[in-house]
Amino acid sequence: MKKSFNKRGNSSLDNVSDAITQLEKSKDFTRLLIPSEHHTGLCVSYFNTLIDIEILRRDILPYINKTSNTLEGVIHDLPLESMIFTDTPSEVQDHLLIGYISIMLADLNHKAVLIKAASKENKEFALPEVEYSIVGPKEALVESLDTNLHLIRKRLPIPELTIEELSVGSLSKTRVAILSIEGITNKENVQTTKQRIMDIHFNQIIDISYIAQMIGDNKLTPFPLYVDTERPDRLAASLAEGKVVVVAEGSPHGLIGPSTLIEQFSAFDDYFLNWVIASFFRFLRFFGALLSILITPLYVAILTYHYELIPKDLINTLVISRSEVPFPPILEALILELVIELLREAGARLPTKVGQTIGIVGGIVIGTASVEAGLTSNVLLIIVALSALASFTSPVFQLGSAIRLIRFPFILMASYIGLIGVAISFFFLLVHLLRLKSLGRPFIEPLFPLRLSDWKDALVRLPFSFQAKRPVEVQSENLMRFDEKMASDKNPVKEE
Amino acid sequence: MVNKSERIPPYFVFFLVVKVQTGTGVLGFQRLIMHSAGNDAWIAVIFGGIVCLLPIWCMFNILHSHEKDLIGVHKQIFGKYIGGILSMIWIIFWLMLSIAAYMTYAEIIGTWLFPQINILPLSIVFAIVIYYAVSGGFRIIAGLCFLGVILTSFLILTIYFPIGYAQFHNLLPIWHHSIKEMAIGTKDMSLSYLGFSTMLMYYPFIDPFKKAKKWAYMGNLTTMLFYSLIMVLTIGYFTEAQIERYIWPTLNFWSSVKIPFVERFEYVGITMLMFSIVPIICLTIWAAIQGTGRLFNVKSKKITFLYLIILIAFSLSLNSREEVNSLLNFLGNAGLYLYLVYIPALYFITLIMSKRTKKGRDFHEN
Repeated sequence: MKKSFNKRGNSSLDNVSDAITQLEKSKDFTRLLIPSEHHTGLCVSYFNTLIDIEILRRDILPYINKTSNTLEGVIHDLPLESMIFTDTPSEVQDHLLIGYISIMLADLNHKAVLIKAASKENKEFALPEVEYSIVGPKEALVESLDTNLHLIRKRLPIPELTIEELSVGSLSKTRVAILSIEGITNKENVQTTKQRIMDIHFNQIIDISYIAQMIGDNKLTPFPLYVDTERPDRLAASLAEGKVVVVAEGSPHGLIGPSTLIEQFSAFDDYFLNWVIASFFRFLRFFGALLSILITPLYVAILTYHYELIPKDLINTLVISRSEVPFPPILEALILELVIELLREAGARLPTKVGQTIGIVGGIVIGTASVEAGLTSNVLLIIVALSALASFTSPVFQLGSAIRLIRFPFILMASYIGLIGVAISFFFLLVHLLRLKSLGRPFIEPLFPLRLSDWKDALVRLPFSFQAKRPVEVQSENLMRFDEKMASDKNPVKEE
Repeated sequence: MVNKSERIPPYFVFFLVVKVQTGTGVLGFQRLIMHSAGNDAWIAVIFGGIVCLLPIWCMFNILHSHEKDLIGVHKQIFGKYIGGILSMIWIIFWLMLSIAAYMTYAEIIGTWLFPQINILPLSIVFAIVIYYAVSGGFRIIAGLCFLGVILTSFLILTIYFPIGYAQFHNLLPIWHHSIKEMAIGTKDMSLSYLGFSTMLMYYPFIDPFKKAKKWAYMGNLTTMLFYSLIMVLTIGYFTEAQIERYIWPTLNFWSSVKIPFVERFEYVGITMLMFSIVPIICLTIWAAIQGTGRLFNVKSKKITFLYLIILIAFSLSLNSREEVNSLLNFLGNAGLYLYLVYIPALYFITLIMSKRTKKGRDFHEN
């Protein structure tokens, strides 16, 4: 354990006051100096995102500004039962990070009293709605920045977690917090993020998605260059992985960067499930995306130009289903794709309950009716519905939208030069993906540049014992997450 | 010096070399070589691969001792004007290579998929895609070559189908052609191995370049193995008389592919070739653009436009099989002289100069 991250961080602390100074780098750390009549005064310090400020106001402050000039006196004065009297710096830090308040004499800095004041609002948080998972925690970020920081800090009670705050937007003055872990997160990534956010010149920042669009490396791309999540556990896990996290006041979402295309395909559930199952699901999502992009264009290309490709048993089915249809495949495909997109858009605009009804009614009624009326073939109906379904498997909403959008140029090119058109469009997409960068790091990373060590958490998610190294993508300052040897040593129980 | 974020690790040289060698050549290299070397053509293929190691070795030594790309080397040795003219020869050569690669693919599309296609819009679509790739810089091109190798590598599995029909006793008797016939076969093989000279331009982008040498050799030998595999299969699958009639025997292999859900696999194969051939066009045209940019200090955007217009113009003017074929033959001969005469000559000049100036003390170590 000698290389363990926590131990190294604390070994340099000499006394309690140093421990507190180290924590002061974070924006949410508060240090109050309370003058006293007989003495130099008392120093009260705490994380305001972690404690219940009511406890401080009601139960502590009224009592300590009396006459006490020793810490023993303070303990005596306070009407609270659980108090810790300590002189160990690491103990002070650890307790502060889980919601304690520390009180010490301003001139005597080797002893402190720790009082439990953690806020108990845990159960009031929202349920994740966009990224709901069956297994795992069901907490989501809310619109208040302080609560969100509390949720993240609760999961990472270490002094190295630093929070920097900026104010963006000339009218909205939105508070934006940049989170990183000292010694893990690459400083260059933090600096880039900070610089880009400071360079934003806009009057109003309503939501974190404004920031995501404004700090993106490429503004012409439909792909999301940062992971947008509402799960505090995902944010905390990304921080531990060495990524930078940005949260903003008024936004129930956080941004994670640098991100890769493959990361966008990983739902956070993947880590809650057994790795075999998780890998299967993840693979399914990749397949779904490819299917969603390619299947309608291939239908158009093959039926317009390359019917020789179809095996003779299948061509019967296709001919029968298309014999009544008066349109060429391209028009047929565009009409149906448009119908599906309209249904999706209508479903998104309407209130939840009505939206569901519209989806079902629209899907069944319009689909069946258009086949019966002979406007479209039922094979194409299956294909279009399948491709829409597949596009909804993407765990990041923005990615699903991008996939649905890039399908249309593919379809048009397919109707122009068939399979060659599909291939050219795909080639163009590849070039585009190769050119994309997230926080200056390559976007399709483990594929190009080829980093074999990052494949452990890409197309498949290998077991946690394989995940000892942080991804090369983030260029972390501390590559190792844990000691691989310690993890693999299982100490098997001897059977008698 | 090239920006650090633009540089790529040395093992990419493997993919760059393999990609640039195996794109267009592999489709129709058999006919010419079997014309002279008959059923011993596979030996000529191996000879060709081994002979190509010499110019690679020379190139590495030239680049090492000067630590500049080809344009810089020419300028240093021959001065501004003569060096510039020599650089122009290479630039034109690379440009012609990219045109040849495009013409081959356009011809395949025209022959197999769309006999009535209007070439102009097709060329414009290709030019747009190539422009988008080339303007992204060398990293993008390297990525495309890498992905091209990965995406098309599964096509090699399709040789499973023709193997069933192949008569490998066609290979016997081994070595019954004269040395002269084999030499002609080896020479004709050279066109298929061309293209790795682009290394002379992407030298500053590889970091560290010293380690790239073994990857380049390995790339060349992988290509050689791949070609000889195809060649052995061709000799087994076709008779020598059949080969005379086929322009792209490798594509004819795909006629024997039987998969339950695809009736004519050639169409799928030719579509997949996109990922094999367009990266080559990008790489060679990039070398030409980069060379011109370094030579005249012009913005690469304008040169890219110019070269793509030249590409489109060529695709419009060369429309018969004979014309494309004569372009390929011309490039084969020109490549032979450039690789086997010019590069060694440049190496000797470098050697003499480095001895005279005693600057290249560590030259012999490499």
